[in-house]
Amino acid sequence: MTQYLLKRGGQSLVLLLMVSLIGFGILYLSPGGPLSQLAQSSNMAQEDIDRLTRSMGLDRPFLIQYGDWLLRMVRGDWGTSYRDGIGVLATIGSHIGATLSLMAVSTVIAALLGGMIGIWGAVRRHSLMDALSSVGAMIALSIPTFWFGLMAIYLFSIKLGWLPAGNQQTFGDGSFLDQVHHMIAPVMVLALVETAVWARFMRSSMIETLEQDYIRTARAKGVGGRAVIVSHALRNALLPMITLVGLQFPTLLGGALITETVFSWPGMGRLFFDSLEYRDYPVVMGILMLSAIMVMLGSLLADVLYAIADPRIRMD
Amino acid sequence: MMKAPGISDVAATAPHCPPGALRASWQRMTRHKLALAGVITIALMVLLCFAGPLVLRLDASYIDVLNRFAPPLSNGHLLGTDELGRDVLARLMAGGRISLTIGFAAMLISVTFGTIVGMIAGYRRGVIGALLMRFVDAMLAFPTIFLILALALLVKPGIVSTTILISATCWMEVARLVEGQYRSLRNTEYAAAARTAGASGLRIMIVELLPNAMGPIIIVATLNVARAILLESYVSYLGYGIQPPVASLGNMLNNAQIYLTSAPWLAIVPGVAIALTVTSVNFIGEGLRNILEPRSQ
Amino acid sequence: MIHHQLSKRDFLKLSASAGAMMVAPAWAQQAASPPSAPRGQVVAGISQEPTVFNPLMPGSEVDQGVWWQLFSTLWFIDAQGNTVADLAREVPTVANGGLSADGLVWKVKLKPGVTWHDGKPFTARDVKYTLDLINNPAFRARNRVGHSLVRDITVVADDEIHWRMESSFTPYMSVLSQTFMVPEHILSATADPNTAPYNQAPVGTGPFRWGARRAGDHIQLDRNPSYHGQGPFLLRVIFKYIPDQTMLYTQFRSGQIDYLGLSGIQPSFEQEAAKLRGVRIMPVPTPFIEHVALNLGFGPFGDKAVREALYLGMNKEARIKAIYQGRPLPTESYVPKGHWAYNEALPAHRYDPQAARALLDAAGWKPGGDGIRVKDGKRLAFSNSTTAGAQAREQSQQLLMQDWRQIGVEMTIENMPAAVIWGNFWQKSQYQSVMVASNFLQGSDPDVTARFSSASIPAKGGSGLNTYQYQNPEMDKLLAQGTREFNLDERKRIYHRIQDIVRSDLVLLPVSQTVIIEAVKEKLVGYENNINSSSNCWNMRSWYWAS
Repeated sequence: MTQYLLKRGGQSLVLLLMVSLIGFGILYLSPGGPLSQLAQSSNMAQEDIDRLTRSMGLDRPFLIQYGDWLLRMVRGDWGTSYRDGIGVLATIGSHIGATLSLMAVSTVIAALLGGMIGIWGAVRRHSLMDALSSVGAMIALSIPTFWFGLMAIYLFSIKLGWLPAGNQQTFGDGSFLDQVHHMIAPVMVLALVETAVWARFMRSSMIETLEQDYIRTARAKGVGGRAVIVSHALRNALLPMITLVGLQFPTLLGGALITETVFSWPGMGRLFFDSLEYRDYPVVMGILMLSAIMVMLGSLLADVLYAIADPRIRMD
Repeated sequence: MMKAPGISDVAATAPHCPPGALRASWQRMTRHKLALAGVITIALMVLLCFAGPLVLRLDASYIDVLNRFAPPLSNGHLLGTDELGRDVLARLMAGGRISLTIGFAAMLISVTFGTIVGMIAGYRRGVIGALLMRFVDAMLAFPTIFLILALALLVKPGIVSTTILISATCWMEVARLVEGQYRSLRNTEYAAAARTAGASGLRIMIVELLPNAMGPIIIVATLNVARAILLESYVSYLGYGIQPPVASLGNMLNNAQIYLTSAPWLAIVPGVAIALTVTSVNFIGEGLRNILEPRSQ
Repeated sequence: MIHHQLSKRDFLKLSASAGAMMVAPAWAQQAASPPSAPRGQVVAGISQEPTVFNPLMPGSEVDQGVWWQLFSTLWFIDAQGNTVADLAREVPTVANGGLSADGLVWKVKLKPGVTWHDGKPFTARDVKYTLDLINNPAFRARNRVGHSLVRDITVVADDEIHWRMESSFTPYMSVLSQTFMVPEHILSATADPNTAPYNQAPVGTGPFRWGARRAGDHIQLDRNPSYHGQGPFLLRVIFKYIPDQTMLYTQFRSGQIDYLGLSGIQPSFEQEAAKLRGVRIMPVPTPFIEHVALNLGFGPFGDKAVREALYLGMNKEARIKAIYQGRPLPTESYVPKGHWAYNEALPAHRYDPQAARALLDAAGWKPGGDGIRVKDGKRLAFSNSTTAGAQAREQSQQLLMQDWRQIGVEMTIENMPAAVIWGNFWQKSQYQSVMVASNFLQGSDPDVTARFSSASIPAKGGSGLNTYQYQNPEMDKLLAQGTREFNLDERKRIYHRIQDIVRSDLVLLPVSQTVIIEAVKEKLVGYENNINSSSNCWNMRSWYWAS
């Protein structure tokens, strides 16, 4: 196991290096820069921009800029934001909590709700309920999530006034209840896709388990009621659930960006979007690296757990 | 960001489609009513979007400033007018044209590119194969929407650039799938026989083995169309995709958020169109999977 | 005499021509008098986040709003155009000895007893440090217009400072009215002022001091009890950042936000907002002029007949009425109405597609097969760009496209994100035409050397903002005169003539002066629109809640 982990660790480092190279390359090649935004609004002339470009080191060749960034990263210095000079890690840190809370709550809801729907569908296969939930899941995966968010805002905020139209809390009131109130709509949107994914996954996972030889044998022998069989199958379906959590990180992160944009939620996705707009390269790179690390950890978790569950799988 | 449903299951089996099974396949397909419904819906949409403007004589770009924000079913505008007085139905058809075209084109590009990469990596193996697959892994480490937004920095927004952006984020799964396929295919007796017969690697890859891998590739391709249409809507909504005055289903929604209180139909109509299109394509994909992988579902 | 003392009568005369829209600031009059003890807070809602807190570094309009609370300037220009002393004891003039007769030697006396937020005294050394820092090549100063001409700064006493200008530059008075003072005792002790921790927890002499900042959410500023001026009458000011316009408006409607400034209320919400109770909606003219900038180096635009035809073919009325709800003020000049240099005698625009077509025909542009005019094999087609996502302007572009098609001109739309369009595309004159709203004033000074001088063309190696590539020797002469002239009437004459030339040459196609709809709670008194200032939050120290 340790050998496997070391190998994976090495592979991940190589991957992270590639990710950083790709990301940095994209930013380096893109036209415009962090100063272009200011060019229009504050009547800065070309020589002011040139002066600032030189002072910020943005005119140096690619390898030097990349090397500089990489060396600093290795030493733990993620850089400072071009917009307000605050450290990148601190900036991300102040935003990541909001995203993680969305991701966590959505995953819990998706796992419970989606899991239940999926398992129920597998147990009562080909019933009306199963057909409906399958179709429903497919539709849920086909709707643009931001549109669903807009419709939610239209119905629940504008027409009914039940839910706030965005933000994490009412200004001046930061109570737990208030925060929960604000979280309902964004979580609903983020959990939509997640629930569908979980429903489909749990359904096929459960079906596979139910068709295992030992279950069939037990049934043929008439051993135990349905409940016993189902709970047995459930226990075996549990491990794949955890692997799914890890595998869903990329989807969750991307979904969070959209949700945060629609609901003005001050999370990391929104920060990424704003930083791109302002060409705040250090923060963009920081978020790309962090999300790549999260994604890799997630898939590593999934692979390791899967390998534990099924020793037949050779870890190579 | 949406992960194409069931990509991992598609990779499972490599079916061989013996000739004459077509009729059996069609029967299975028609039994899958949803897929049929999907085909009909898409056909109707294509008809509406491409032939509609000629028949109905509606101009998607005529600006009528005196008639802005007309609600649906008012003086000659079935779906109302938008913020510049343009007919929403006409815009919908124009937008549908663009979105469908981009979806299809992006699918072609991503599937072609992904197949080529997967073929080479899966058949040749070795250093090149490993390097290619690491590159695929690195690209997959970016959440899709993060990658698209970052890549959008490099290009001026427009139809061609949006298509390329979407293709650039959709080819990786295809490559992984094809790589897995070829990895197992290269070890079959079939491939060995072709090699002993003296066929070149290229010939083997394309002529001999590709037809066997086509099944899963077709399924992925279909699901990619759905994904591409959705991605276009995301990118245009965020402002980095199709730019006005060109209409796309996505950028019609970009403008809609501000008018949500006063003209909600501007947000409802394009969204329903996207949902309908993508759902139909997804159902078609599911139907195809039933045919090509008749595992019990 | 350099500072302009515009009498109330003159001001009203100038503004009368602007029609009913213009300022007769009923809302600025105190309904009641300020409270004896400061109370309450103001939550200002803005759609862009302030991120720069060192007032000498490059920042945007939102940042300015925060700077006016934290810092002070030597003097400022009020809404009526008067220069009012703030940190200086009096505005230096030739009469009081503050300025030499040729305007080259400045002697500024400072107000005694002013302290920084940390208690240390404000002295002339801080002024010297601020000016030196701006000119320091290692410091990322926003720009050095005017400051680069300052020499031999001498601290004569704690409350007096002298310096000499290398050459006479009239706009410097106005430049200083927007130059905030930073503390020497803090910044000189840091290794690098560019990245000093001071920039996240600034110390100034303004009416409010730094409270707290929640990045991506809000900034809180607390009252400065030892403020050197009148006020403040609020306990704190909070700048709340909400990027989405709809949500911004919703929060204002629900009462969570007290003042909606910067971009104000979107035209689509205005009707509904007008019906709200307890709230005051005000159309506020800004110094921004919406116009179509033409790259005169691009083929057809070099031909004056083409420019005139384009202007005749533009349906300004429809645009203003339909897209902007009739709010903006149609204008012929790049100077905002209400400004002392505004030329009201410019020829009015008329929408006459017939005349436009005739003009183009006469100039040799004949309609081709597809309806687009051709001359010497070149089609009269060009691109127009603006910031992607600027909704109203995008709609405006599409209307313009339709207008110009009717006179046989093909305009294509090529929008791009702000970070791209204002890079080399704009700076190096790589565009063909751009639709934009700009503030042509230098602070509040009408000097436009950077815009229209032939030496200010970056694409030709010059330094400035003349991306239109306009070259006119008469203009160059007038511009130079304008910055050396002290007599106000003479300056007015010069700048009127400059506006005449810009209008007749149609260097740019002026459309309208931007009017935004700001909104404030009825009980909040003291707000006053000021086109001479960089932010409408310039006088938050005078705001208070009427009981």
